[in-house]
Amino acid sequence: MVPDYDVTFIERGDREARFLVRDITPAFANGIRRAMIADVPTLSIDEVRVIENSSVMFDEQIAHRLGLVPLTTPDDYEIGETTTLALDVEGPGTAYSGDMVSQDAQVEPADKNVPIIDLKDPEGSETPQRLEVEADAVYDRGREHAKHQGGVAVGYRHLQTVEVVGDTDEFGEDEPHILRGVIEDDGELVPTEEFDNDLTNRFPGKELVVEDVPNAFVFHVETDGSFTVEELVTQAVDTLHDRASDLKDAVQL
Amino acid sequence: MMVPVRCFTCGNVVGEHWEEFKARAKEGDEDPEAVLDELGVERHCCRRMLVSHKDLVDIVAPYQ
Repeated sequence: MVPDYDVTFIERGDREARFLVRDITPAFANGIRRAMIADVPTLSIDEVRVIENSSVMFDEQIAHRLGLVPLTTPDDYEIGETTTLALDVEGPGTAYSGDMVSQDAQVEPADKNVPIIDLKDPEGSETPQRLEVEADAVYDRGREHAKHQGGVAVGYRHLQTVEVVGDTDEFGEDEPHILRGVIEDDGELVPTEEFDNDLTNRFPGKELVVEDVPNAFVFHVETDGSFTVEELVTQAVDTLHDRASDLKDAVQL
Repeated sequence: MMVPVRCFTCGNVVGEHWEEFKARAKEGDEDPEAVLDELGVERHCCRRMLVSHKDLVDIVAPYQ
């Protein structure tokens, strides 16, 4: 029996989204969050063969920078599968992530303007600085290395309700009542940014009680560009589902 | 030396925005706060990556 979950989007973009999920336990919400971080595989450069590097950075520093560049995720790769990218830039000028050429047409740098290294043409030198490398990108999970995490700043908060219980003291101090997240007001979902995160802007002169709505979570998900938020969340839920069914098979008599 | 590719704290790709930020806020006369907002660098962990960065390649290059 798989129950249906009630999902409402508050903000929806390719790389950033906020959505409300109702009727899930805190444990399940955290399970989804952790799956998004650690279980959804992405491609990332892992091994670099340096053919020429006369730049001011060491080979290892270049390799580290290349590893952090997000790559778009192809849809038919297995864990551990690799593909090759090449970078060949001569100074004077800057080598960008977008200068990388990939063997597989599905794979390309998700952000193309990341400067890798500034190459110079030093005075008195015969040849300008040059960087030529060949890099193997590996398809692996976030739990192997943080560079494989597709989600950035993935988290959730409780949905909250605000109840007016009376008026504030007329001669009391005007203190702000800061709240972040999303509140539910008469069935309407209101992000707190709409009233500058200050409840006194929305309910002036009122005494308020803020309460968490049980089992309703507002997820905030961002990706590094490897895939869309939608792909990240559905793949994370799929991995949870697969692991649950693996466990079920394993303990069956 | 070169701008970090990602934010140290949250892992967001910030290197992408460096050149525009440098041209508009560091060398130009726009307000850095407004430029960062416009570039979509929202969190203060990512903002400090750009605000506190200094390119050092030109300074190091002669000693290679």
